[in-house]
Order: sequence, then C-alpha cells, then structure tokens
Amino acid sequence: MMRRIVLLSLIGMLLLSSALIQPVAAQTTLRVLVHQNPPMVEFMEAFNQQFQEQHPDIVVDMSVVNANDLSTVTQTRLSANDIDVIDMFGFANAVQPYMVDVDPPNWQQLADAGLLMDLTDQPFVANYDAATIADAGTYNDRVYAINLGRVSYSGIYYNRDLFAANNVTVPTTWSELVQACETFNAAGIPCMTAGGRDGWPIFVGAYGLIGALYPDQAALVEGLWTGTITWNDEAALVMWSRMQIYARDMIEPGASGIAADAAPGRFASGAVAMFPGGTWYAPAIEAAEPEFEWGYIPFPGSENVEDNQYLFGKYDQGWAVAANTPNAEAALLYLEVFSDPENYQAFVNAVGFIPTQPTAQLNTQLGEEVAPYLANFRVGYEQYWVAPRGVGQYANPWASYFQPFGTFDDPQALADTVQADLQSGLDAVGS
Amino acid sequence: MTYHFGRGRSRWLPYLLLLPGIIAYFVVALGPSLATAVFSFTDATGLPGAPVNWVGLDNYREFLFLGQAARDNLNAVGRTLIFCFFVTTIQFALGLLVAVILNQKLRGRNFFRTLYFMPVILGAVIQGLIWSLFLYPLGGPLAEFLAIFGVRSEFLGAQPTEAFAWVIVVQIWANMGTTMIIFLAGLQTISAEYYEAARIDGANRWQVFANITWPLLTPSVNTNLLLNVIGSLQAWQLFLVLLGYRNGTQVLGYLIYATGFGQTSGSVTSSFRQGYAAAASIVMFVMVLVIGMTVQTILRRREARIMG
Repeated sequence: MMRRIVLLSLIGMLLLSSALIQPVAAQTTLRVLVHQNPPMVEFMEAFNQQFQEQHPDIVVDMSVVNANDLSTVTQTRLSANDIDVIDMFGFANAVQPYMVDVDPPNWQQLADAGLLMDLTDQPFVANYDAATIADAGTYNDRVYAINLGRVSYSGIYYNRDLFAANNVTVPTTWSELVQACETFNAAGIPCMTAGGRDGWPIFVGAYGLIGALYPDQAALVEGLWTGTITWNDEAALVMWSRMQIYARDMIEPGASGIAADAAPGRFASGAVAMFPGGTWYAPAIEAAEPEFEWGYIPFPGSENVEDNQYLFGKYDQGWAVAANTPNAEAALLYLEVFSDPENYQAFVNAVGFIPTQPTAQLNTQLGEEVAPYLANFRVGYEQYWVAPRGVGQYANPWASYFQPFGTFDDPQALADTVQADLQSGLDAVGS
Repeated sequence: MTYHFGRGRSRWLPYLLLLPGIIAYFVVALGPSLATAVFSFTDATGLPGAPVNWVGLDNYREFLFLGQAARDNLNAVGRTLIFCFFVTTIQFALGLLVAVILNQKLRGRNFFRTLYFMPVILGAVIQGLIWSLFLYPLGGPLAEFLAIFGVRSEFLGAQPTEAFAWVIVVQIWANMGTTMIIFLAGLQTISAEYYEAARIDGANRWQVFANITWPLLTPSVNTNLLLNVIGSLQAWQLFLVLLGYRNGTQVLGYLIYATGFGQTSGSVTSSFRQGYAAAASIVMFVMVLVIGMTVQTILRRREARIMG
C-alpha cells in the first residue's frame, strides 16, 4: 500500500512539474572569429552582450586570434564547419589580368571554394557605400563581405609636447623628418618606436615612404609585373636609401622586442617622439594615456611637400558568413544588427576606422587629424600585390631587410637582391 | 605447442585486442602520412569544396628548382641540418653531464632532477613566452645584465644568425630534461659492483666513465641520439613562437607550416597551398628517413661491437 502511495505521489509530482516548467527555448550558439585588436575586441564584447540581451535565444561565442594566425584559423575552422561569422582581412588584391601563374589570395580561394555565403541580396549591404562594397566585398559580381572601415598605415603619430619642448616643427618633407630625428636623438630621446617583435610593424611603418615616391600604387604593381619599374632603378634607390635611414637611425634600438600591441602604449608613455603606424592604433594610444597630446601626419617620404599629402592604406576588417553554417539566420541577424547605422557609428568611434557607411563620421581626435587628407586617401601597394611563384624571400619593398632588423647595410646591394629575387619569379612564370 | 590464449576461436583474441591500436595507428598516423604523399601530387588548398587537381611532380619541381624560392628552400634545408647538428650534440652532451652529476648522492638531487626536467612539460607557447620576456631588449633581465658590461643586443630581433642561435639555445633548454631522464634511467641500470671492482683495481674517475659507464650506457646513447636527431630535424614550433616568418631563419619544418597555412608573405593576404606544403613535407620525410636510418645503422653496429 505504502509503495503504491509513493509511486502515485512521484507520478503526480512529475506531471505537475512538467506542466509548470516552461519549455526551454532552443539556444543557438553563434560562433564569431575576430583578430586581436584591443579596442575592436573590447567593442565587440560589449556589442555581443547587447546583442544577446536583445536576442536571448542566441549565445555569441567569440574567438580572438592574433592577426598573423587569422588565415590559418579561418581555414581550419571553416574546414571543420566550426565557425559562422568570420573576420575577413584584405578583401582587395584580386589577381589582375597581367599576373601570370599566381596563387590567388586566401579570400579569393575561400570564395572560389564556395565557403563564403553570398550576401548580395541582404538588405544590410545597402547600409555601406557602394564603392566599398565593390572594392572590398565583391567578387565575380557577388557580394561576399561587408567591409567595416578603411585604415591608413602610412602616417606617423607625433608627441606634441616633445615637439614643442625641443623646438621641432612638424616635418613636411623627408629632410625635415631626418632633421627632427637628429634633434631628438641628440637630446637623448628616441625618435621613433614600432612593434618589431611581430615583424610587420617595421616594414608597414615605412609604407608611407613607398607611397610618397610612388603615389599610384596600382601602377607600381603593374609596372613591377611588366618590367617598366624595377626595385633597383634610380627612383627605387632613393627609396632604399631612405628606408635604411628609417631602420637604422630613426627606429629606437630595442624596438625588435616590442610587441605590436605594446607599441602604442610605449608611444603614449612619452618615451619616444614619433610612432609610424596605422590609424587603428589611435584608440589604444588614447586608452593608454587619455591626457596625452598627439597628432597624426602622412609620412613625409618625399622632398616635395605636395607628394606628402596622401594617406595610403587598406580596407581593414570585414564580416563574411560561412556558406555552410547551420546558424545562417542568426549569423545574418548578427550582421544586420551590427550594420545598423547607430551601432556602426559606435563601432567607428571605438575602433577609429575611416567609415564605410556614408552616414557615419569619425568623431574622434583621429578623425580631426586625418580629415585634411581623407580626400587623398589611396589604397596601398600591399593591397594590390600578388607575387609570382618562384620569387625569392627578399622580393618585397621592406625596410626591415636593413640592419639592425635584417642583414643588409648597403642600399644598392639590397636593391639588386630584391630585384633579382622578384625577377627570378617573373622569369619562372615567363612574364 | 601450448598457446597462451587457448585453441579455436580464442586464438584470435590477441589480434582482436590489437585491433583498436592498429586502427588508431592507421587513422591517426599512417593514413594522414599516406594522404600527405598523395596530396603532394595535387594542387590541394586544404579547403573543403575547392577543386583538387593532379599536378604530377610540379610541386616537387617548384620546391626544388623554381626560381630563387627554390634556392631559399634549399637554404632552409641547410639551416635545418645546422640546427640538428648543434641541438643534437649540445643537448646530448649537456644531458649526459647533468645525468651523471645527478646520479651521485647529492643533497637535493630530486629537486634538481625536477628542475631540469620541468621545461619539458611546458608547451612551446609557454617556453617561447618565458624566453621572449627573458630576452626582452628594452630592460629585460639579460639585457640589463649585459648592460653592466656595456654590451647590448636585440636577441631574438637581432641579425638572423644570432636569432637562430637563440632558438637553438631555447630548443636545448626545452628538451634537455628528456635526454637527462633517459641517461639517468640508463645509469641506474648499471650495477654498483662494476664500479666497486674498478675502484679496487685503482681506476680513476675518467677511466671508470670511459670503460664502464659509457659502454654500458650504449642503449641510452642510441635512444637519445635518435630522438635528438629526429626531433631537431622536425622542429618548427619554437621558430613560430620566437621568430615568426623571418628571412634567414626558417628551417624546413616551419617553412612547411608557413606555406601550408598561408603565412609566407608576412602579411595576411597569402595563399593556402597544402599540396605544395605536402611536397615539402615529403622532402623533409626523406631527409629524416635517410639521416635517421644512417644514424641508426651506425649506432646498431656500435652497440653490437660493444655489447656483443
């Protein structure tokens, strides 16, 4: 009898509980991949929080990887169908008709393999300006990415207080820049810093020098491919000589140990006078030292002031969606909410990108600094260049080949090596 | 004949028990290795859905003969051999020295054994982080110490030769514990009676080492040499963590990783070339096989001569 009572009680409780408990809504876990950029990651964490509150049925699982590892992780996670929304870099340098026997850049390989979702008909695409969608999101007439902003990497941040204290005027020509560095070095103040531990900040820091001497970078790439321009001609030798001065005399000793993420903090600490770097560093500089007084100028790589009025750069981060995602609806909703003009404006404010939505404005100090040059913004060499197979390891215009970062101390020897390394690839593909 | 597992169907039991291991070996080791060999004749990108075309020997031709890149690849092969030589010899000698010392009755020897072995259990990322901090050129411990003598260096960011030498140092530091432990195990198998007899015969320390310890350590010597040679030929993680893709420092293992996963341009816009990387892997496999087999043959002959 007792057993029967217990059994009936249990059944009753079970029925009651099943009636009382609301069915739990199935949650979607949206997997998002971004590269390491502290202000952007901070913004994305806040955005994800807000997105989850608005859409409690979606949990955002965001992974952050080093920029150097982004393509590797993108490949492996796409292969494993383990990612929904992907941070796409450099959706620009498609293979041009004059390029022979090259491997397409990784974004093109992803699109060709059918791994990126076609976003052409998504309403949020219209929030971005048409030129950006065409230049940095469209391939074979289909839209595969929305680009979130342009950045310049050819400028120099300068410390206003140190410039004033040492009676140095803001340089507008190469000679003035050299003179400024000599003044700072004589005063025991390192002229420039850079995040040399990650490698690329050293040569990217000098991209402005290439831009000042080769203002039309698309023509430069075509010229190198077709042989009308060489890396050891007269104009190039000027570039190499200046790059040597930049690497040897301008960048502070020990910069090779500074991580890319740490360099803005070192500049903001007031330890160095200048910091050649991309506009994406501005939020990190402001966060490190809010009271710090800084300015931003195009790299004065030419003796002609007019040539130093351009900012060269690239389309930076963009969003793409995995074609085979099981969470397509959530992924598209995520992009739609992100692309809302109000949210996008907040993103631009936080990250410092030059906006790619026509209604957004860069309302920051960086915005004020770059405003005079925005009309002169140009896409840089790196975004056009695709190397032929067989090129040697020195076939790039990189200041980091010079001592103390590399082995070369003679501009002519380096120029000849770079051209020979490039030519061997061009010869190999019969270009 | 008595059979351990009985007769009839029971005779298949050992094979049945071996089956999971064999399947795991095929799936995890042999299968991917064979697939790599096949991929090396294709233009595979490693992306699902991307077309894979048979390209014959093109990848090998490109790796070994196409343009300056081929010469750079061969330089990486040379650098791999240099890395192997220095890591093997120094790690072997240091491991032996430390093992012999820590085989004595010393106070705190267990602490020191643990201390020397500890780097082995840290992953390459942690090892790299420790050394990046230690070698930080702007106020790092070694930079500060050298500054006392007026010496300064960029260490890992220095000239490729110096940066490469630092990776050798870190590789040895990271793996010397394994060498030491294998030698310690070997030393502890040598009977104390041999040493006692030698002392009674008036042998000095060097004579004891040369005529008793060294010959009787032959199995440990062989194991360590083979492990060191093969391990250093295949090394790549510390190059990635400490140096990244930097001209004049790549070894073959890292070159393969960088090529396969699109990291060769120094920027984020390079290509995925797993077919080509697979061909480079096969080149490395052949190199490891030839060197490994040669070393093993020499060591076996030596072992046969010494141990009888």
